[in-house]
Amino acid sequence: MKPIVDIERLSKTYGKSRGIKDITFSIEEGEVFGFIGPNGAGKSTTIRTLLNIIFPTSGSARIFGKDIVAHSKEIREGIGYLPSEVFYYDDMKVIDLLRFSASFHRCRNEKRIAELAERLDLDLSRKIEDLSFGNRKKTGIVQALLHEPKLLILDEPTGGLDPLMQNTFFELLKEERAKGTTIFFSSHVLSEVQRMCDRVAIIKEGALIKVETIENLMRNNLRHITFAVQQPESIDLSGIRGIVKQEILGTHLKLLYEGDLRSFVQGVAELPFSDMLIEEPSLDEIFLHYYMK
Amino acid sequence: MLFRREFKRNLRSLIIWSIIIAGIILMYLSIFPSMAKEQANMDNLVNAVPEGMQKAFGMDRLSLGTLLGFYGIEIHLMTTLLGSIYAALLASGIIAKEQNEKTAEFLLALPISRRTIIAQKGLAVLANVLLFNFVIVVSSLIGFQFASDQDLPYKAFFLLELAVLMMHLTFAGIAFLFSAVARRTRSIVSVSLGTVFVMYFLSVVAGISERLSWLKYVSPFKYADSAQILTESRFHPLYAVIMGVVIAGCFLSAYWYYSKKDIAV
Repeated sequence: MKPIVDIERLSKTYGKSRGIKDITFSIEEGEVFGFIGPNGAGKSTTIRTLLNIIFPTSGSARIFGKDIVAHSKEIREGIGYLPSEVFYYDDMKVIDLLRFSASFHRCRNEKRIAELAERLDLDLSRKIEDLSFGNRKKTGIVQALLHEPKLLILDEPTGGLDPLMQNTFFELLKEERAKGTTIFFSSHVLSEVQRMCDRVAIIKEGALIKVETIENLMRNNLRHITFAVQQPESIDLSGIRGIVKQEILGTHLKLLYEGDLRSFVQGVAELPFSDMLIEEPSLDEIFLHYYMK
Repeated sequence: MLFRREFKRNLRSLIIWSIIIAGIILMYLSIFPSMAKEQANMDNLVNAVPEGMQKAFGMDRLSLGTLLGFYGIEIHLMTTLLGSIYAALLASGIIAKEQNEKTAEFLLALPISRRTIIAQKGLAVLANVLLFNFVIVVSSLIGFQFASDQDLPYKAFFLLELAVLMMHLTFAGIAFLFSAVARRTRSIVSVSLGTVFVMYFLSVVAGISERLSWLKYVSPFKYADSAQILTESRFHPLYAVIMGVVIAGCFLSAYWYYSKKDIAV
């Protein structure tokens, strides 16, 4: 099966430092694909290049099997895009804006607009200029979803939504996923990516660090290990390789360890600890770990 | 769709500018009858103006005592200057606004090609400038009926208004190109306005100073020179061609460049 999004050595340089270098990954049909990285890592640049708002410096990408530069208009027919900051024409009413957007997709689906607005508790008769940040975002969600796109591109979608609305939003996404919509989900909040995504691409300073399934990311051998000891200061771990981080908290010695657990356990077997706790790190820590490398 | 949207969006400013220009034209024309009666005094007044200035404003060749002379000196300045300001504001704003108000990201993510965007915006500019000039012509013709029962050389008047229309389109084209090419659009509207004022200044200087008279080839304000067009009843073909080339060149370059440009949002 052909991938929905296929990015090949895509680079975009502008200014001195901003941009992306040599990004390669692909997204399969029906997949929920996370795009993770700190602010300024190049997530939005990648997305804007895919939408042909900016042009690639080198490399290429295909969406629905079509080149993003040569066929950008046809590609955008199948895309719903929610930008990280939503800006619309201030002089329009929400409903007019949504109809305006729908007219380009040649779909007039008043029922769907009304339905989405009701679920998101969005007043369609308000003027855009009077909307709060959160309500703008809701308008953006409706606008991205109303033409039932094959590919949803969401850039930091939950910013500005309260937790209750975030839940509604994730429900909507689950329904989309059930319909077979492919979702490209960019975020710097890992827990929400963990919640939705099948795979994630990790990006840092414009370069792709890793593409990994969420399962594998969680299953890697990075572990938190906590020892309960009388005198943590006296513990000598210099013989053990793979300790990424260690800190002392009272009578506890906390480690972040990456490597084979059996050899670790053998190495610490003679140490005078009274308890040992091994925990799976959160995705945030896993990410920080890759990020520090 | 975009054309309709742009037309609606700019309709209010078109109406306001139309009311202003129609008001000015009708007001000026309504005082013409009383001024014509005082023609002797007017001529003295004109003669008191330094010769260079007389030339710059066409007073050496046009008479304030005739309706079209009065129109060419007093009202023509308003229609050219105000109209050019309006055209420059309109044409630069129509592109720059999308970037300044960050709506470009929304528009460009819709299934519409860059070429369609720029073409429909260009057409919206054209339509607005045409309507604005229509208002100028109609309110002038109405004003003429009330101002005087002299027989008017309509051919000269229409040639003059054709020159004015082309001049407005020239400034619209320049401003349109500026905002299509600029990477940062924040100051583009001011730059476009500045261009109008600099060109106006050049035309005045070209009229006053013999040494700098070559500047008349630079400024569209000289291309639509009322004294020349009204006295000779002829719109210099060279000027028409220059403006035509500038207008077409600007809109086509904008069309071409905008399709290849990174839009900063």
